[in-house]
Amino acid sequence: MSWREAFRLSDVAFAELSLQAIYAFRQGNLPPPEAAARVVRKSRTRVLQSKVIISVVLALLAVAAAALLRLSGRLVANGFVAPNLPLGVFDAGVLTVLLSLDIAFLWWTGLQMLPTFLASGVLPVLEPLPIDDRTLRRVAGLVYLRLFDLPALTVLVSVPLFVGLAVGPWAGLALVPGLFAAVVFALALALLTGRFFVRKVQGARGGGGSTVVRWAYLVLWVVPAFSMFAFVTAAPALFAALGRIAAQDPSWGASLLFAAFPFSFAVVPSVIAQGPAGFGLPTEAAVVVAAMGVYLALAAWAVLWMFESVRSIGAAPAVLPAAGPAARIHIAPRTPAFAVLTKDLRIASRTPGYAFLLLLPILDAIAIGLWTYVSSPGSAAALGLGLGAVTTAALLATFFGPAFFAIEVNAYSYGRSLPLADRSIVLGKVALVALLYVVAAALVLSLTLLRVFEPLVFVAFVAAELPAVVAAACLEFGILFRRARRRGLPVVNFYSGAWYALLVTIPGLLLAVAPVIAFHYASYAGAAVGLAVMAAFALAELAVTAPIGFGRGTR
Amino acid sequence: MVELPASEAVLPLSVDGLVVAYGERRAVDHLSLSVRPGEIYGLLGSNGAGKSSTIKSVVGLLRPVEGRVRVFGTDPWLDGVAAKRQIGYVPETSQLYEALTPREFLEFVASVRHLEARVVEDRLRAYASAFRLETELEEPIMTLSNGTRQKVLLVAALLHQPPLLVLDEPLNSLDPRSVRIMKEVLARYVASGTRGILFSTHTMEVAEQLCDRVGILDRGVLRAEGSLGALRIRSAAGDGTLEEVFLRLTEEEEGVAAAVRSLGGV
Repeated sequence: MSWREAFRLSDVAFAELSLQAIYAFRQGNLPPPEAAARVVRKSRTRVLQSKVIISVVLALLAVAAAALLRLSGRLVANGFVAPNLPLGVFDAGVLTVLLSLDIAFLWWTGLQMLPTFLASGVLPVLEPLPIDDRTLRRVAGLVYLRLFDLPALTVLVSVPLFVGLAVGPWAGLALVPGLFAAVVFALALALLTGRFFVRKVQGARGGGGSTVVRWAYLVLWVVPAFSMFAFVTAAPALFAALGRIAAQDPSWGASLLFAAFPFSFAVVPSVIAQGPAGFGLPTEAAVVVAAMGVYLALAAWAVLWMFESVRSIGAAPAVLPAAGPAARIHIAPRTPAFAVLTKDLRIASRTPGYAFLLLLPILDAIAIGLWTYVSSPGSAAALGLGLGAVTTAALLATFFGPAFFAIEVNAYSYGRSLPLADRSIVLGKVALVALLYVVAAALVLSLTLLRVFEPLVFVAFVAAELPAVVAAACLEFGILFRRARRRGLPVVNFYSGAWYALLVTIPGLLLAVAPVIAFHYASYAGAAVGLAVMAAFALAELAVTAPIGFGRGTR
Repeated sequence: MVELPASEAVLPLSVDGLVVAYGERRAVDHLSLSVRPGEIYGLLGSNGAGKSSTIKSVVGLLRPVEGRVRVFGTDPWLDGVAAKRQIGYVPETSQLYEALTPREFLEFVASVRHLEARVVEDRLRAYASAFRLETELEEPIMTLSNGTRQKVLLVAALLHQPPLLVLDEPLNSLDPRSVRIMKEVLARYVASGTRGILFSTHTMEVAEQLCDRVGILDRGVLRAEGSLGALRIRSAAGDGTLEEVFLRLTEEEEGVAAAVRSLGGV
């Protein structure tokens, strides 16, 4: 069969994948009371919406990089970035960071989507049909590529376009091979690591030791997301290092730099933009060309590998049963709300997408806490950093809260057949958000206290903000629950239901940040006054939003 | 508070004029039935007859367009938590929390149902042994076979010994040994005379062996209801099997013969 036939089949398979990604029938969701054709149409539209959101973020990254390239003359001349940094090397540094961010963002997106792709079961359906092996491989590859089509196309088109507008069309075009390699590596990494984590995490047995191993793997899962922060955070250090290398005579450091991915791809556009003289570093053309050749060959091999592997990975059971000893029967019933909280944590421990949402605020808190400790700023600055970190933890917990609601889609119809009051579910979810905030804040606290010992201010700040975090969660879950009861469908996952989850976080974030702003202004009259005003603000918010979470409309 | 007729308050289940629709299409059309104490009521029907839609309305999953449902006098759509406390439900497909292990899942169910640890552990030990589930209690549900998932669902439905069991094709994926055990469990379950079971199936043999009364559902409409003996008389099927009774009452007997004829030599 031809590529045309493979594309036609992939269209059918992708429609099913979209349906499962949005409505999750295989996970136990109920069909909405609408005509089937309308449901299918809606699912395709929502998947498209999510792709558009991701593509907009990627395009914005390209615009930001282009703006930096446009302003490079002024930035470098003022020594704003790093001393002794030649213009061309600065350009190459900007493009290196951009390519790295694109890889990290696409990789992270792929990791979020891969469990849905594997759970959808679209490829096993095709296996028994009389379709030859080659076509099946093509179909599988095409379905996987279609998950990324718009975001990948955005990278391949928007980056050359904006870079071209900033520093010239030939420079923009010269970046295309690097972008191609970046997109392919991101997709291959998502497939490779996603599969590994699905096996190691989702298929792991229950029990204490296994839980620890699972969470350890899940911390690794967060790496791509953290690398996005890391590339941005480490950018100044990268430019400083580039400046040092440029100041030296030809060295091993420079050779390694020219050979390193993705710097080698960033060199050519920069040389085109600034001219060989303006590049500021003797260009080792042979090293650059050889490196680009190797990376492009690797990318071509990765494309073939993906077309070979997607089928075998997608058609095989995601996880295999492992024979184990007879379990000791130990059941510890809890209150319903606590049972919801425990269930969510257990599900998150085997679902990387949710684990990511739990781990990110906590790891972020650890990173900021460690930064405060290592950088050893003055006492006032450390206090400011610590309180800022607590605020970040509050905002992240509030921002990710709505996504925890999506856990309810698991066995949604079965869950609704249980005598579980809506209030218990909301209480369990609000408790999860509050727990996340408290754990993150406690970590910041313990690390910052090593540098600045002002426990009273810290503890009071954390405690004063807690009602605001709870208020925000009450509002968010209250809105989501009412919508779910009305529409018969919860937000499904972070990727597919992103637009609604994002909308509902806006009032939530406002609630979470308002007491901090109040503290900022009121603390001119003294820290105690600031904290009192903050606590009063937060409690007032809670009084207003608690009825939304637990009052009429929830049962 | 609405005063209920005494008979309705003791009936495990009463359904009156139930209509369930998906858009314009009516899946269940003015269905009325009741499950009496000590009775296993079998809901029979072809694929798409409306059995699962009826059951989903009974357990509070699908809101009816018209009609009313009462579980021991309680409306699952007015006081869902109270009604659901009285029900043990096994869905048609094994929709479970895939990322939990059976033990974690049953712990969640026990918590929601406010059960005591000791009681749950004793019951779970007994059921796990009967259904040979001991080695799978700590495996993630997503790795389990359909039959094992079905067993987990059956255990979850029986864990609180509810006065009404609602089972949607519960024996579909089970092995013969488990089917035999389950039949025995169900027969004993209603022996006290206070509990009831609503049981949907399209396997006539199972219905014939287990059910005290059956309701024959065809394209959303209840065509006939009664004991097997009563239905035989009504359909004039003589000593015919339930399958023959079913085909006669749903006027499918001639349809089946025509379909077989049309297959010709295929």
